[in-house]
Amino acid sequence: MLIELVTRRYPGMRFWLFQRVTAVYMAAYTPVLLLYFCIVKPVGYDAWIAFNSPWWWRVLTFLFFFSLCLHAWIGVRDVFRDYVPNQIIRDYLQAFVEVVLLACLTWSIYIFWSL
Amino acid sequence: MKLSTMKLSIYRFNPDVDKKPYMQDYEIELQEGDHMLLDALLRVKHEDATLSLRKSCREGVCGSDALNINGKNGLACITSIADLEQPVVVRPLPGMPVIRDLVVDMTQFYEQYNSIKPYLQNDEPMGETERLQSPEDRAKLDGLYECVLCAACSTSCPSFWWNPDKFVGPAGLLQAYRFIVDSRDHAEEERLENLEDPYRLYRCHNIMNCVDVCPKKLNPNDAISKIKDLKIERAKEKKPKKLFSIKSL
Repeated sequence: MLIELVTRRYPGMRFWLFQRVTAVYMAAYTPVLLLYFCIVKPVGYDAWIAFNSPWWWRVLTFLFFFSLCLHAWIGVRDVFRDYVPNQIIRDYLQAFVEVVLLACLTWSIYIFWSL
Repeated sequence: MKLSTMKLSIYRFNPDVDKKPYMQDYEIELQEGDHMLLDALLRVKHEDATLSLRKSCREGVCGSDALNINGKNGLACITSIADLEQPVVVRPLPGMPVIRDLVVDMTQFYEQYNSIKPYLQNDEPMGETERLQSPEDRAKLDGLYECVLCAACSTSCPSFWWNPDKFVGPAGLLQAYRFIVDSRDHAEEERLENLEDPYRLYRCHNIMNCVDVCPKKLNPNDAISKIKDLKIERAKEKKPKKLFSIKSL
């Protein structure tokens, strides 16, 4: 159903919905992270690796960073649309932000999946 | 009987004479019965007849004298002088083209209001009596119908400043919801569809300036959120379209 709502059939709703869904995921992930941290209490590098080694935790963490990037992309896109009226400059700025976000996401994947 | 003096700094601009706007300082003597900012502005107008401003009912019903008062939008006629820090800085509503002094061109605001079709749409034939509502259905209009269209909310909204031609604005959206929830209106689907464009509804980012300034203490932000929720509900109720069919092959 969510996929149906985020198609081009709803051009206004889908980005708003993306932002809300990603916000909810991040809001849910953060207390889980704190709770997991309190339970495992990783001290030192080895403990930190062990903390992040379960595959399911890596998937949840990847989803968190993915949500963060998607959320930021939509937010910055809205800001540019409001405050940068020149379309050429806006497109360049948007492309720059997309490259940075993609690099951050790739980097986070590299860090967490190369442990 | 003179009571006290009051200092004001008022935005002045006459496009026929002035190259650019400027602030003019005034010091006036308040008289007995001068309680609201509009009273003071009319004292100024009495001394300087070149000052232009709009006003009508003088009791917060017509919405004509919406101004930017000490940096915050409000109605001059229901803004108490006693609550204002002096000198009172009075400017026209922000983001609107100035016609002269404190008078702004509200064409775009009214165009956006008009775009939501602010009237009941009902194709059913008229009966012998009025279309009655239950008390519960009537109660849904509370907090919505009281809007006086002063534009204080829309002109305090950055999304409306940057996109007055595309974003309906809080006042228009409050009215859109007022007709969506009206049990006598049968155009809910069309009204929701009319707001699907990425700009018309979804440029609202809930910063709540509209709620902060509304002189009638209404909550356009809540109405906007309810429209968004309704759009999701209605979209979920719709059966998904077939992506492929024999005919399309």
